Amino acid sequence: MLRRLPYRVQIPLGLSLAVLIAAILVTAVSAQVFTRSARAETLAQVDRAVALVIAQVRPMLVADDTWRVFSLLRDTAGLLPGAPLGHARLAVVDVDGRVFAASDPLRLETGRPLLGEAWHGAPLPPEGVTRSWRASREDGSVLRLDPIASDDGQTLGYVLTEIDAAVFGADWPALAGNALAGIVLAVALLLPAGWWVGQRMTRPVERLAMLIGRIGRDEPGKLRAQLPHTADPELARIGDAVAQLMDELERRREAEERALSAERLAAVGRMTAAVAHEINNPLAGLLTATRTLRLRGDANDVRERTVDLIDRGLQQIRSTVTALLPQVRVEERALDPDDLDDVLTLVQGTAERLDIRIERSLEVESALRVPSAPLRQVMLNMLLNAIKAAGEHGRVETALHADAEFVEFSVANDGQPVDAERLRTLIAAEGGRDPQGFGLWVCQELASHLHGSFVPDPSATDRTRLVFRVPNREDPASPS
Amino acid sequence: MRRRDCLGLLAALAWPALGTAAESGPDRTLRIGLTPVILADQAAFLTRWAAYLEERCSVPLRFVARESYQPVLDLLLTQRVDAAWICGYPFVLHERDLSLLAVPSWADEPLYRSYLIRSRRLAPDIEGWRDLRDRVLAYSDPLSNSGWLVAQAQLSKAGLSAGDLRRSFFAHGHRNVAEAVAAGLAHAGSIDGYVWETMRLQGMSAIDDTEVVWRSEEFGFPPLVTLRQPSHARVDALREALFTMPRNPEGRALLDALNLDGFVPGDASLFNSIRLQAMQIPDSGVQG
Repeated sequence: MLRRLPYRVQIPLGLSLAVLIAAILVTAVSAQVFTRSARAETLAQVDRAVALVIAQVRPMLVADDTWRVFSLLRDTAGLLPGAPLGHARLAVVDVDGRVFAASDPLRLETGRPLLGEAWHGAPLPPEGVTRSWRASREDGSVLRLDPIASDDGQTLGYVLTEIDAAVFGADWPALAGNALAGIVLAVALLLPAGWWVGQRMTRPVERLAMLIGRIGRDEPGKLRAQLPHTADPELARIGDAVAQLMDELERRREAEERALSAERLAAVGRMTAAVAHEINNPLAGLLTATRTLRLRGDANDVRERTVDLIDRGLQQIRSTVTALLPQVRVEERALDPDDLDDVLTLVQGTAERLDIRIERSLEVESALRVPSAPLRQVMLNMLLNAIKAAGEHGRVETALHADAEFVEFSVANDGQPVDAERLRTLIAAEGGRDPQGFGLWVCQELASHLHGSFVPDPSATDRTRLVFRVPNREDPASPS
Repeated sequence: MRRRDCLGLLAALAWPALGTAAESGPDRTLRIGLTPVILADQAAFLTRWAAYLEERCSVPLRFVARESYQPVLDLLLTQRVDAAWICGYPFVLHERDLSLLAVPSWADEPLYRSYLIRSRRLAPDIEGWRDLRDRVLAYSDPLSNSGWLVAQAQLSKAGLSAGDLRRSFFAHGHRNVAEAVAAGLAHAGSIDGYVWETMRLQGMSAIDDTEVVWRSEEFGFPPLVTLRQPSHARVDALREALFTMPRNPEGRALLDALNLDGFVPGDASLFNSIRLQAMQIPDSGVQG
């Protein structure tokens, strides 16, 4: 039960219970000690009372003054515990062993023979006793006989003292009442204090737990500043460990950022290399063509063929640059169905030059939430690649389909079929090899970035149909 | 404790009187000795009574109380007090030296009786003096008529001697006799009937545990006496103040507190019964 409670409740509650248990135990022990000390105190009081009686009663005995002896015994017995309830009594016994006077004459009748007789089931010593005689009975009562001697040593009489067992018995109802009052007082004073101390003790722990719960969501530096400072060595160790954890997480985050930056730089490098490659390839032919023009440009047919060559090379470079432009452009808006028409317009010239027919299919069932920039680039790259693959007089089919879950753009051409293995070979960019199909590689990268896929349609066996499919949501990093 | 405290206080108040003769020196204080013939340990009452008498005697007045009769008698015989309220027995004993100042009147007569009381719890079987054999008997004072002399006469009449009692003792006052019997210290006690009745009237607890089993013939009430000497104006004034108490509301209230009707001149013949009784007791000191 207790373990199911929060730590911030467990400790104050535990301290409070400890206070309660301690109060009960202390009270029980105190009651025992009180009972023992009460008996010793009672016996000490009896000693003092007997000494007082012996000191005062001598002249009264000599004067045979029963009344004054009675007055002395009555007044002295009144000082003994239990006397008001008749549990303690004193008597002076004369040298003949008879009661001279008693504090309770109804029990110890004047003139009654006592010494040497049985009293309450036990024999009393006979007259002539010169030293104190004491008897502790089985029931706990005490009986004692103390001689009264004159200054010259003659025995004048005896003081008989009887204390009933009830005097020594603990007054449990009274003790319980006092104990209850003590417990209530202790609980009233210490329980709030225990609760307050417990709350104070658990506050750093509670704060640590809260900060640990915020790790990963808030800035580590901000969280570290809120770490509680405590003198408790255990809590200080926990706090240090949490601070160390935050440091490591921050270092890891920084390392990840550096790795991501390095990867981006590497990607830019790879992209630059690919662009350089794409541009460098036609440049060699273009340089050759310019030399041909310079040497043999007078001939019309040579000039025409050379100029055509230069034109195609420049067109290739333009295509490469055109493929790169959308990636660097920052556009925040979502994809629009008109974007497909824009891309088709861009490639229309190339398609017409090769006499390629492009068919378009649009099926948008839900609002488009994917970003437009990467999708425009994907569509352009896939179309240019398809036009190239379809060849002269070829046919290209485009389709944009969107529902609540996904956005799918596919381009099919009737050129040589490309399967999944061939596609991987084309877009492989790892290992420093030049990508054979830079545009397709860009599509692959964007598909990965947008948590989607870029694969050939396995069902299209007689043609090539590449499918770009991404989740239909704005933030590609967050799950739908 | 309260009784002894009061007596101690009264003794302290009376201390200056012990060192000087009543009639000598410049001290004109009128001193009156008190014995346990009355419940004299009520300091507030004595203060009021002294003030009442002072006003009428025109001299300072002080009561001097003692637990026993003999010390008061000694003070009177040595002229350390001007008057004393003693028992009829010491008056008879010292009749040649004493003269009556006033005799209290109780129940319209200057007479009282002696009682034999028993303990309700300890000795309910005592019916009379004959039943005191092997019992403990409490007396009041060796100079008390009701508290000793009567008992001696009745024990003798019952055929009992002192040795036939288990034990006897003096309780130094009639009130103490009642308390001793009530506590069970004694089986029976010889007590002044006026004191016992006054204690009963005042609701004292000791009375509840005692019972009167015998009442004596009537005796002259314990009188206030002075030394037999020429009259003195202060004493005459005191006598007059005592006699006129019933006619004064304040005096009447004081008498009610004493459970008395008033004071009368009295006559020595009032104490003839005591005298005759004492003459029958060999150790009484009263000769025939």
